[in-house]
Amino acid sequence: MLDISALLEELKRSPYEEISIRAPHCGRIGFSPALKEGMAVYGPQGEFKEKAGTLLAHIERERNLKEVSCPERGEIIAVHRDLHEKFVEAGTELVRLRHFLSRPEAEKRILQKALHLFLAPERARYYFVPSKDIKIKTAGPRSVSVRDGEEVFIMSRMKRETPLQYNGPDGVIYAVYFSHAASVESFTPLIGVCPPDMLAQVEEVVLRVQTEWKERY
Amino acid sequence: MSTGTPKILIANRGEIAVRIARACLTLGMDFVCVYTAEDAQSGHVRLARDHGAKKGLYRVSSYHDANELLAVADDSGADALHPGYGFFAEDYRFARRMQQRERPMNFIGPSWQVIRDLGDKINTKRLARSLGVPTVPGSDKPIYDEMEAEKFARTIYEFQLQQGIEQPVVLVKASAGGGGMGIEEVHDIDLFRSIFRRIRNYAARQFKDEGVLIEQRIRDFNHLEVQILAEREAANIVHFGTRNCSIQSDGLQKRLEAAPGFAPASINYGFDAQKLLDAITDHSLVMARAVKYDNIGTWEWIVTRDGAPYLMEVNARIQVENGVSAAVTRIRGEAGVDLIAEQIRTALGQPLGYSQDDISFEGSSLEYRIIAEDPKRRFAPWVGRIEKFQWEQKDWVSLHTHVPTDEPYDIPTEFDPNLALAIVRGKDLEEAKRRGLEFLDGLVLEGHGARADELKSNVEFLRARTEGVLLF
Repeated sequence: MLDISALLEELKRSPYEEISIRAPHCGRIGFSPALKEGMAVYGPQGEFKEKAGTLLAHIERERNLKEVSCPERGEIIAVHRDLHEKFVEAGTELVRLRHFLSRPEAEKRILQKALHLFLAPERARYYFVPSKDIKIKTAGPRSVSVRDGEEVFIMSRMKRETPLQYNGPDGVIYAVYFSHAASVESFTPLIGVCPPDMLAQVEEVVLRVQTEWKERY
Repeated sequence: MSTGTPKILIANRGEIAVRIARACLTLGMDFVCVYTAEDAQSGHVRLARDHGAKKGLYRVSSYHDANELLAVADDSGADALHPGYGFFAEDYRFARRMQQRERPMNFIGPSWQVIRDLGDKINTKRLARSLGVPTVPGSDKPIYDEMEAEKFARTIYEFQLQQGIEQPVVLVKASAGGGGMGIEEVHDIDLFRSIFRRIRNYAARQFKDEGVLIEQRIRDFNHLEVQILAEREAANIVHFGTRNCSIQSDGLQKRLEAAPGFAPASINYGFDAQKLLDAITDHSLVMARAVKYDNIGTWEWIVTRDGAPYLMEVNARIQVENGVSAAVTRIRGEAGVDLIAEQIRTALGQPLGYSQDDISFEGSSLEYRIIAEDPKRRFAPWVGRIEKFQWEQKDWVSLHTHVPTDEPYDIPTEFDPNLALAIVRGKDLEEAKRRGLEFLDGLVLEGHGARADELKSNVEFLRARTEGVLLF
């Protein structure tokens, strides 16, 4: 049986995560003048996350200026100002952020211990089979149920695709942990499945996080 | 553009990046490499660190980001870009952009007009038909509509029945695909729609283009190629002979190549093989002249058992297997031809310096593509860590690889699991085959996957297929 109180307490003791914000591609960096250590920043906002987060920098390549926005809310703990006006390589750290976990993030972390996790068998890219993909896109993952042995995924490595069966208890897909076109390391979770007999416990996790987790900023 | 030593940006990875870098060193040119996070261990990265230009190595987010590559070119001061194969090699818009941007750069490949006309399978087919060059029966435009595709497939199916073919097969190909990816056979025309949908979905995911081609599947054929090289302005177009690429995986991807394309002196093909080789060479040159071909390129042919040739496509770029042709070529009697160096020289506007009469052919060569894959499981790629990679050095073998031999190497899952190319030379086919087997016997390739499974490779497949090279 999952000890939800203990998990919540553990998370409350360390409610932060540090996020390294890196150059998305090569280009010339120009930091936002207002940016400084200790500053509170915001991630994407709006109903559809359509409003970009706090502007951190611009990166320019081939006269295409791209904004580097804050991916999460939090507090700036480091700015690599020495890179200002310099050409940087992709992946160069620009800013470090301390991010306080939001309610959905806390919920996601605890649910990972409650749900049945189906792990990626190999380092690869993963897709849902078209029939599941359409349902997930239109009605969300919780509208899709999976059965043991059912072909649920397409595993793509080196442009070669092979079908992949789901193995585990029957249930609904409660959480999706991968995104299309992103490489997934082996043995990391692809989906979290909630079998019918665990529904009460999962609902309790959601309720407890909703009532006990305090949002910051 | 700079008037000093040219600096070449190598916009590719793996063994081709290594070979381009080495060609630059041979020509006394500076080079710049790019790499993604997954490729940090690749040999081309090390080569750039050790021998590249000042500002000779950049980590990029993707090999597919044109803006990023051109920004790197500007920052590094590169004045030419070699696309290798894949990625931007046959993207005429990219080649045109390089020429037309504020700081123009040289694209090491055919001009954008040539790539536009020949880099596209459909245009190539139309052009070939207009010049009387035989092509494989099939659609000459990408098809997106299921009903239209099925109607076309049924026509091809019935055409084969009328020709007396008892088991007709229709080929469904992703129009934007290449290298044997996104191709399936339809044996039962009633299953056509489901296969069409599968390929269309695959094409949308992998190539962002749902277009599909429908062709007659020609069975029992050899896959031949003609290697062409031309100066800028198409002033001097020569060929570097033929090669045979018939030994392929289940997915129609090349695994073992041989040059020349047939061996009529030692094998009886039931048709005049030399005449056939001459015919496909002539057809290829006719097309090259017609489009004013102006760099390196390959004309790919299907040859049926009765000796009938059909043009498949033209690859308006350098190919993986260029080295197998170079190995049997002599320029004014001299060995050591490097087609990548020749491609770079001519793209930068240098004259060839020789004509077709100066080119001769000697001996036989084989190219083994050493790949981490499991031929027993339909050539499924194997992913893991290579722990040991060694081979015996001989003066008749050249090995091109990006895999380090002095430290472990994790195979990235983002790209094909090609590990190395081994090119073996012999005075004739028999000697090349004997040496090929000797090379494979001395090859050590070991590693383990994430589940402690042993490395899978195609070495046994290559060994088994060596004897049958150039046979129908």
